[in-house]
Amino acid sequence: MGLPNASGDLSTEVEVDAFRRLFPLRFYEKHLLESIRPDARPLGRARETTIALGAVASANGSALAKIGSTTMLAAIKMEVMTPSLETPDEGCIGLLPLAACFPLSLSLLKTSGMINLKELSLVSGKAAWMAYLDIYCLDADGALFDTALLSAVAAFSHLEIPVVSLNDDGKIVLSEEQGLSDREPVNKEKRKINLSSVPFSLTCVLHKKYILADPTAEEESIMDTIVTVVLDSSSQLVSLHKPGGTVLAYTSAIQDCIALTRQRVKELQKILEEAISGMEVD
Amino acid sequence: MAAKPGSAPVTYSPNLGQKTRPPIFKDNDLDWVRPDGRGFHQCRPAFFRTGAVNSASGSAYAELGSTKVIVSVFGPRESKKAMMYSDTGRLNCNVSYTTFATPVRGQGSDHKEFSSMLHKALEGAIMLETFPKTTVDVFALVLESGGSDLPVVISCASLALADAGIMMYDLVAAVSVSCLGKNLVIDPVLEEESYQDGSLMLTCMPSRYEVTQLTFTGEWSTPDINEAMQLCLDACNKLGKVMRTCLKEAASASQE
Repeated sequence: MGLPNASGDLSTEVEVDAFRRLFPLRFYEKHLLESIRPDARPLGRARETTIALGAVASANGSALAKIGSTTMLAAIKMEVMTPSLETPDEGCIGLLPLAACFPLSLSLLKTSGMINLKELSLVSGKAAWMAYLDIYCLDADGALFDTALLSAVAAFSHLEIPVVSLNDDGKIVLSEEQGLSDREPVNKEKRKINLSSVPFSLTCVLHKKYILADPTAEEESIMDTIVTVVLDSSSQLVSLHKPGGTVLAYTSAIQDCIALTRQRVKELQKILEEAISGMEVD
Repeated sequence: MAAKPGSAPVTYSPNLGQKTRPPIFKDNDLDWVRPDGRGFHQCRPAFFRTGAVNSASGSAYAELGSTKVIVSVFGPRESKKAMMYSDTGRLNCNVSYTTFATPVRGQGSDHKEFSSMLHKALEGAIMLETFPKTTVDVFALVLESGGSDLPVVISCASLALADAGIMMYDLVAAVSVSCLGKNLVIDPVLEEESYQDGSLMLTCMPSRYEVTQLTFTGEWSTPDINEAMQLCLDACNKLGKVMRTCLKEAASASQE
């Protein structure tokens, strides 16, 4: 058994597919002995990643992220709210409870300090922005959290805050809609949010002494030990998550995962920067 | 509007401007110029792509103007909902909007009837007897709503079913026409739909010249109905050809 030979003998092909379905673990272990995976990736390499900004025009900021075949669409819509009494200068980020069904909660977007909530304020004490972030999974093939986080971060970097002004009833309305060009816009200068310490993540599966970075759905289903590391752009640890699993993660394994993540953060930063500069044609 | 601690704060969208309807239709000869400069009987250019979703049996993505829809088909597969044996297959449709599809967040839930309308449009075209005891699930997600959403969903769904290899009598193409005063405009955008006096959606199988679903709303005079239906049938024909080209390209690309 092993990899199909180049002559394309049909009977060997069929056997390989059946072997893959019937004995998935043995199929993988034969590959891991050669330090490779069935899709010809080395163990530490992630799949091809692309980001497309501005996928949806009806949202204020949006991004479509693909890692391999896993596709996530994140979009942000801005609405106005009254800030709470304890924090009159701060806006808010709204995450669907659905986002919390990830093993690792996306609320780390709020806690990682990527966004200064004071930037979301409009009129101190009276009005502030609520940025609703919604993420939809269009295709699931492993590493869902990584892709979701990447798409959320990209959507925030694409976000453009609409220009608004205060109308007579004390409500905030879009400046062009009212046709009141003489009315002073509340936030003429602040159109983009500053992102500091952007978090990026990498999920790895552990199997015996192997560490596979960026697993596909098949790999995640047969190897049950998953480690997710989230680092920010200055390589500081934001979060580490290892929910059980049969493989015990010794310090060396964790350190290897973190090293892989550090590498991945550089790759993702580059991809995100290319996507952003690709948008700035004007 | 002080929110209780722990509960989500109340928010409103700044996009409140209620556009007053320009009172030009009834008697004047002034013509409505379409926002995107199309002729009254001109549809938007259609972009279709199958195989967008790898984890589904079949899928398709459609983009007409700013209306973007993605449809995934799963099956034929076992269904937990079906308790009784049936010697014909079952079709299960679901149409949902993303929260950011509409200009104001969350308005997509106004279209709950689309799921059953999609079901009625497709069930006449699918050969249900070819997959007894099993169910085919069709999930449509509207990513961005730019007008004429349901017709685009129906056309995209039939492409996804074809991509999944579900046997059908023919592809299903759908087009809608809006009545604006004395004018009939085909494939309306969101703005035109908000001003319409009446609408007609026609779903047909172009090669067989058979209509699977016809939906009228509002006021219509008989000559207008005839004209609108003829418009729709011609447009569906053309749309059917575009869909066929898309399938052929996908098939020849996979053969290479």
